[in-house]
Amino acid sequence: MKLRILLADDHEIVRRGLCALLQKHDGWEVCGEASDGREALELARRLKPDVVILDIGMPNLNGLATTRQMMQLDPNFKIIVLTITDSDQVIREALNAGARGFVLKSDAARDLESAVEALQSKRMFFTPRVNDLVLAGFLEKGHAISSSEPPNLPALTTREREITQLLAEGKSSKEVASLLNLSTKTVETHRSNIMRKLSLHSIRDLVVYAIKNNIIQIDVPLDVKSDPQSTVA
Amino acid sequence: MTIRILIVDDHPVVRQGLKTLLEGQSGWEVVGEASDGLEALDKADILQPDVMVLDITMPRLNGLEACRLLRRRTPRPEILFVTQHDSPQMMREALEAGARGYVVKSNAARDLLEAVKAVSQHRVFTALTRDTFSSY
Repeated sequence: MKLRILLADDHEIVRRGLCALLQKHDGWEVCGEASDGREALELARRLKPDVVILDIGMPNLNGLATTRQMMQLDPNFKIIVLTITDSDQVIREALNAGARGFVLKSDAARDLESAVEALQSKRMFFTPRVNDLVLAGFLEKGHAISSSEPPNLPALTTREREITQLLAEGKSSKEVASLLNLSTKTVETHRSNIMRKLSLHSIRDLVVYAIKNNIIQIDVPLDVKSDPQSTVA
Repeated sequence: MTIRILIVDDHPVVRQGLKTLLEGQSGWEVVGEASDGLEALDKADILQPDVMVLDITMPRLNGLEACRLLRRRTPRPEILFVTQHDSPQMMREALEAGARGYVVKSNAARDLLEAVKAVSQHRVFTALTRDTFSSY
């Protein structure tokens, strides 16, 4: 019986690359592809994949929020997150959300196969630098980094996090309501609660908060003329 | 129609995705891959591709500089940028550097084949998107 893998990334060209890499492996099949977290949740519910690979920076529902909701749906889901950043905060959040594999996109061609194999055998997998950080956290604090609380994150509910991402992406309360099957009034109540909890005063503040806390990731075009050696993808 | 293509991107997964898409076309051949601008210039000299699919932001030498250097030496290969920079300014800069095509990565699966075909026939192909929240 084949190992069934669900793949979620908003860029089709990346999904194609990942599919080609995974399907080189005998006995593995990509049973579903999703282009955002919401679609990934729906497919996970329907297809019950053995392993889920989630990009963190996806629109509508990011990979961290999707991981949280997927684990609430079924704590047996085996989730690998793909990320362009290995910041401590993102690692901590991914672990707290329930991910058991953490792979940098730039290293995916090298590490993804090992990550899937690890999760298949009920082990965890971290990209090498993350491994060092997890170990350092364990040695320093006497406990794993996964048990520490993320900084600067007030207790937003799952729903509030979802709405924070959608508002920060520029959607109106009406559009959010339609996406989440809620009334506009309910969304506005959530919005007021979010602003109060986070002590924010404008949507601009909310966007800044969302970027700082990896709820959304935004491409900032670089002036490559003045920075020809830039390594940012 | 035979088209020989060189793929240049610093992310192996993106190169693999582009390759899978391009090699699905009858007669199209990915003759080589490079992971930065310097390697791209070397491979362009050796492999003499018809089309170079080129990322902009890469280590060592970015795509725009590689494009300018290549254009000073030779009118071939035609250059198609596939980039995350969804900006008219960047597109203009790419065309001024001597590229014939410009496609945004988030839409590459939709636009790439048409773009490669166009630039291989020395026609201009450009496409931007309004999606500014994508991450890769």
